[in-house]
Amino acid sequence: MLKYSIKRLLQSLFTLFIIVTVVFLLMRLLPEEGYFGDAYEKLDEAQKEAILTNMGLRDPMHIQLMNFYKNLIKGDLGESITFRPKVPVMEIIKDKVPYSLYFGLASIGISLLVGVGLGIAMARNKSKFWDKFGTGYVVFIRAVPAAVYFLFKQIYITGVFKLPMLFKIDNPKTWILPTISMSLGGIASYAMWIRRYMVDELNKDYVKLARAKGLESKKIMVRHVFRNAFVPMAQYLPATILFTIAGSIYIESLYSIPGMGGLLVEVIKRQDNTLVQALVLIYSSIGIVGLFLGDILMAIFDPRIKLQRKGGAR
Amino acid sequence: MGKGAVNKLRNNVENSLNEDELFEFAEFDEEEAKRGGYSNYSYWRSTWKVFISNRLAAFLLILIAVLLVFTFIQPQLPNQKSPTKIHNHPETNLPLKNVKPNEEFWFGTNSIGQDLWARVWSGTRTSLLIAIIVGCFEAVVGITIGALWGYVRWLDRPITEIYNIINNIPKTIILILMTYILKPSMFTMIFAICLTSWIDMARFVRNLTIIIRDREYNLASKCLGTPTRRIITKNLLPYLVSVIMLTIALSVPSTIGYEVFLTYIGLGLPVSTPSLGNLINEGRLLILNPSQRYQLIFPAIVISIITISFYILGNVFSDAADPKNHV
Amino acid sequence: MEDRKVILSVRDLVIKFRLRGDILTAIREASLDLYEGESLAIVGESGSGKSVFTKSFMGLLDANGWIDAGSIIFEGEDLAQYKIEKDWLKIRGKKIAMVFQDPMTSLNPLKTVGKQVQEAIELHQGIKGEEAKDLAISILEDVGIHDPENRYKQYPHEFSGGMRQRVVIAIAVACNPQILICDEPTTALDVTIQAQILELLKGLKDKYNLTTIYITHDLGVVANVADRIAVMYAGDIIEIGKCEEVFYNPQHPYTWALLSSLPQLGVKGHDLFTIKGTPPNLFYEIKGDAFAPRNPRALKIDFVKRPPYFQVSPTHKAKTWLLDPRAPKVDPPESIRVLRQQWEVGNNG
Repeated sequence: MLKYSIKRLLQSLFTLFIIVTVVFLLMRLLPEEGYFGDAYEKLDEAQKEAILTNMGLRDPMHIQLMNFYKNLIKGDLGESITFRPKVPVMEIIKDKVPYSLYFGLASIGISLLVGVGLGIAMARNKSKFWDKFGTGYVVFIRAVPAAVYFLFKQIYITGVFKLPMLFKIDNPKTWILPTISMSLGGIASYAMWIRRYMVDELNKDYVKLARAKGLESKKIMVRHVFRNAFVPMAQYLPATILFTIAGSIYIESLYSIPGMGGLLVEVIKRQDNTLVQALVLIYSSIGIVGLFLGDILMAIFDPRIKLQRKGGAR
Repeated sequence: MGKGAVNKLRNNVENSLNEDELFEFAEFDEEEAKRGGYSNYSYWRSTWKVFISNRLAAFLLILIAVLLVFTFIQPQLPNQKSPTKIHNHPETNLPLKNVKPNEEFWFGTNSIGQDLWARVWSGTRTSLLIAIIVGCFEAVVGITIGALWGYVRWLDRPITEIYNIINNIPKTIILILMTYILKPSMFTMIFAICLTSWIDMARFVRNLTIIIRDREYNLASKCLGTPTRRIITKNLLPYLVSVIMLTIALSVPSTIGYEVFLTYIGLGLPVSTPSLGNLINEGRLLILNPSQRYQLIFPAIVISIITISFYILGNVFSDAADPKNHV
Repeated sequence: MEDRKVILSVRDLVIKFRLRGDILTAIREASLDLYEGESLAIVGESGSGKSVFTKSFMGLLDANGWIDAGSIIFEGEDLAQYKIEKDWLKIRGKKIAMVFQDPMTSLNPLKTVGKQVQEAIELHQGIKGEEAKDLAISILEDVGIHDPENRYKQYPHEFSGGMRQRVVIAIAVACNPQILICDEPTTALDVTIQAQILELLKGLKDKYNLTTIYITHDLGVVANVADRIAVMYAGDIIEIGKCEEVFYNPQHPYTWALLSSLPQLGVKGHDLFTIKGTPPNLFYEIKGDAFAPRNPRALKIDFVKRPPYFQVSPTHKAKTWLLDPRAPKVDPPESIRVLRQQWEVGNNG
């Protein structure tokens, strides 16, 4: 177990290193306007060169890269250029975290609870009402782009329940809609996966044996099927949770919630290179940390993992 | 001989109520003996039968076929307007902004006076085109890399590492990064989506190839002297064709989803190109104005129909292609 | 054997399945008496319905199958009338337990084997916790697992196929049943392991006072363990009798064919015997003797009228018109006669 964890950790660090490098190099391909903000038009060539040199962008690439690593280890991701000029990126992001955290946690709670419940109901009543209802919901949410169904919801639900459309910190009523909206996708995914894995498990021989030895079907569901169906989900759970906490790009900008996801949309529109770079790095790292935790979690649940997986793709 | 003869015999025997005769030997017919087995099984016929027996799928198939044909011949039909032309009032010469749906403009006009009907179909064309290109790329690259990955042993390690890296980063982040770095255009969008989309396909084909390589029935087939070509066409291809169909079908909703998403965060196609994403984005700005919501509703309905239909069709087809569901 | 108590009595059982709108008759009016303490083997080729037949004693038919007619009398109750799970819970494990074919998939991969045995004990033997654990360990020892204290804590993937089958058997035994149904218990195992498992089952039968039913298509297994043999074809038991009777004095043409196709009975230099054709399609109604179309020496009546049981001896009966006094005399194929001679020689020597 420990050996597996360490191996997996080193693998993740290596992946992280590659990603950081690739993202940094890609960002160098960007048009240089992005480093000047509104001042771009007014400056002449010599001034621009001076600024770029000053920022270290005229150094040889490997030196730039080394500096970048050094700063990164210190936790310094640079300064904002256009969004809030000269303000350290970390400081800007720090302000955003609490909002994303609140909405993320709330929506995970709701979607796990409702999604898993719906999934179990679907698997237990295959081809009956709950299954059909759930499948319809899952198909709708997974097929139709989120932006489209959010807009439907904005128009109709908001009207029916007389809920305000935009988020205001001091008005608790405005917290409801974004939380529910964020849960819609999660509910669909959890319901779909739980149903699929449970139906898979239900067809396995050990369920027949459990029936043959006289276990009630309710107990078979709880003790054997659900537990086993949850294991493959465990792998993706940490990543999903982390991403949800990190903020929904759609929802936050739709409701103007001052979180990290909304920030990403904002800085893309403002072409703030350092902030985009920082956020892309943060989101990628979250992905890697999430999958790492997922693998560890899975290894804890499933005793077979340590033997089976010798490298190779999942 | 065959069934007829036996039936005749049966009737003869039943009519002649002579008991002693009943205890005479009957003729033995080898063909009749074999009749019990299910021999007339055909993979594609069964797939089609299962698929079409799903009424919803049959309906959606027709719907999508009609919609596709219409989308692509729409500009050639009479009395169609240009999706980008700004219509002016014939007398005042002012742009016909926000005209509600009427006989002239079936879906009304948008905020600068363009015909929404023409724009919706033009946008559908753009989005479907992207989706089809992405789907084909996904199939071709995914299968090629997947087959190499699974078949050439020394390539397993490096491709697995690349896979682990790409798979570790959320797709939307790669999309955002690529479209942010490159100039917004149709090419950028296709390139960015293709960059990540082949990966799942490749992994799937890799696992399939390993199974094909190592499964006993293929080994047995080989031992009997079946040429590799025949193993591929008979044992692997039916499987693969259904996978390709599913991939292309599902790439439509997912690509439209990405396009709408990228447009939404400001990294989509140029505003001058009508696309479903651009239409939704234009409509979104009018959400607070109930009288102009039709500009959002029409594209939203078209998107919903297309994505849901392709999603369901893909899934029903892949279920139907699974021999476990054949009888 | 006749003086023994009948523990389970099946009468004219009909089981049907619905498959994509069509209805298939898997069991066609099959009857069977199971005697207490005996060991019965049901043989037949794949799809003959032997597995479905026994599954119906425990209410384990797949969701698309049902008992259409007939009765299964056990302890004065008709199991064929049981509809809800609560009824079956009185039977499953407690009275009748089952060992499945594939030990690789019969165990829950995420639970230790010990817990899985213990679960059965806690369900049926009214003890819990440490006590149940101790019993589980002793049962594991009984089924031939060495170092049971440590093995108790291990997961199925740490066991070999044969060892897993021992665990599956331990689970069945832990239920403390009266009847143990072994559905192809050795088919998935190595030949060397097969004999061990059969020995184990024989031993456990005596130790735990079990009545056992073996389902198999392997006549070697049958010869090893069974007191009586029931031959099943197309959902009906066409011949049943004591082991020696069925082996050495078979009456039904299908039993002849089945035995003739044993490679051991082949003659050097000659092709092995095979039964021509395929079993009947169960979607169609079967008229007369189901085996008739594949029987080169079928009588005309075989195509018309279903044969009843003809008693060969008090313990041996078969469903074939050949036993009717009016039927012409038909000699069994050569290999069957050879078999009989060998047996007689063996008995004398």
